[in-house]
Amino acid sequence: MNTPTIGPGGLDRLLAGIDADRMTATVATLAGPAFTGRRAGSPGGLAARTWLDRQMAVLGAQVTTAPFEVRAVPQIHAAPEATWHDGNGSHSLVFGRAVMPHPASADLPVVRRGGLAVAGSGDPVGRWLLVPAGMSLFDAYGHADGAAGLLIARDTDPDGWHYTVLAGSDPGPLPILTLDRATHTTMTTAAGTGVGWLAATTPIRRVDVTAANLHATWPQTSGAGVQVLLTAHFDGVGDHPGLRQPAASDNATGVAVVLEAARILVPALPEGIGLAVALLDAEEVGALGSAHHAGQLRRAGATPLVINVDGAGHLGAAAAVEAGGPVHRLLALLDQAGRHTGLSLTAGPVASDNRRYAAAGLAAVGIGAGMGGYHSPADTPERVDPATPAAVCRLVVATVWLTATSTSTLSSLIGD
Amino acid sequence: MSDTTTTTTTTTTGGFTGDPAAALTVTGASGCCGTTPSAAVTEPTATSSAPCCGTAAEATAEGSCCGSAAKTEAAAAGHGCCE
Repeated sequence: MNTPTIGPGGLDRLLAGIDADRMTATVATLAGPAFTGRRAGSPGGLAARTWLDRQMAVLGAQVTTAPFEVRAVPQIHAAPEATWHDGNGSHSLVFGRAVMPHPASADLPVVRRGGLAVAGSGDPVGRWLLVPAGMSLFDAYGHADGAAGLLIARDTDPDGWHYTVLAGSDPGPLPILTLDRATHTTMTTAAGTGVGWLAATTPIRRVDVTAANLHATWPQTSGAGVQVLLTAHFDGVGDHPGLRQPAASDNATGVAVVLEAARILVPALPEGIGLAVALLDAEEVGALGSAHHAGQLRRAGATPLVINVDGAGHLGAAAAVEAGGPVHRLLALLDQAGRHTGLSLTAGPVASDNRRYAAAGLAAVGIGAGMGGYHSPADTPERVDPATPAAVCRLVVATVWLTATSTSTLSSLIGD
Repeated sequence: MSDTTTTTTTTTTGGFTGDPAAALTVTGASGCCGTTPSAAVTEPTATSSAPCCGTAAEATAEGSCCGSAAKTEAAAAGHGCCE
């Protein structure tokens, strides 16, 4: 066990060792084409996990793999075809920008052509129905007996890309396409003339897969005392046919932060503090990796302090922190670490794996520090500000360090 | 354990802009993360059907567990979203 130098000098020496370039390289690798966006259960996801296993082994970790089954992961298996006619001419809709199969769509691999109509107005049989704003998908189905399919408006990101969503409703019997709002409005107008039509496919299927978390421990940090668990999900929403979705900010950056924090901390941790890392799979399909791991911890009676990083791509005014469980002491340490490293923090939603650990009764915080892009082709390594993962890594390292060296806590009604 | 105050006196900026305990009660923390019906494992069970961001009405209207307008806003603000 190490005998660290306690005090600002010891911590500051650790912080000075944080390597932003190393984190940038990790993000670039994870976001690269070899890992195909890292969707849970995909070959790219497996390749990423294999690469991460090696990275943690290089850090001297004992790495174990914890597989679990995931049902019905949506997968767009071909670029959808979508051409519509407004009565004067035809228009092809660009996959990813103007059109995207809805995650609750039925699989329609062959082109279906039908006239345009507005759901709730007129005869739906054989027609593609434009779902008006404010009408739920459930209600739209109530107007869609015999329809060719449904067309729903969706916002796009600032670059004009549709967001990819893996978590959502079970598929229904109809093909469903999401359209950007401008296209949806134009087609709704055309539907009113009674002459418009759409010919389209919705090539989306569900696959049952095996996902797996990676767990790393270090013999020199496994002694009795406070245990800290650093987590980040490594999966992404995955590439589509012809559309790369690198998943750089979400969440190659979080993984890079955790790996770098472990690299810095493992050789230097004070006595009385244990460190473990969990790189989690299947967050994008509903935080299933952390659900699996939280259950394992609960059954084992383990009670680590959990620090989860999800999104360290582009810091705004402050990093968001969401907390759950008996977390008052951890929040006090995080606050102290933020003040020491100069990173501003604000209470804000971090809807990520931290919620699974908190729901299992563990002290858990989620840290989110902005996305350069989000669930679209725009989430590229070039959009990641290298200063952001570096700032979050400093925060994490300082928090873990202070866990061993500080007695700070907050006032708590439940005494945690 | 050691003297803790000396470790944090070098910088006065940063840290929580308000009460750190507010992180326990953030808006939207009842979230949809992990509650999807389309992909499930047996443990632990889902505890909420609320959207992770946006309103339930917005999410329902879009056939999603998270309203896209709120999702755009959350992503742009750096808060992220679970889907």
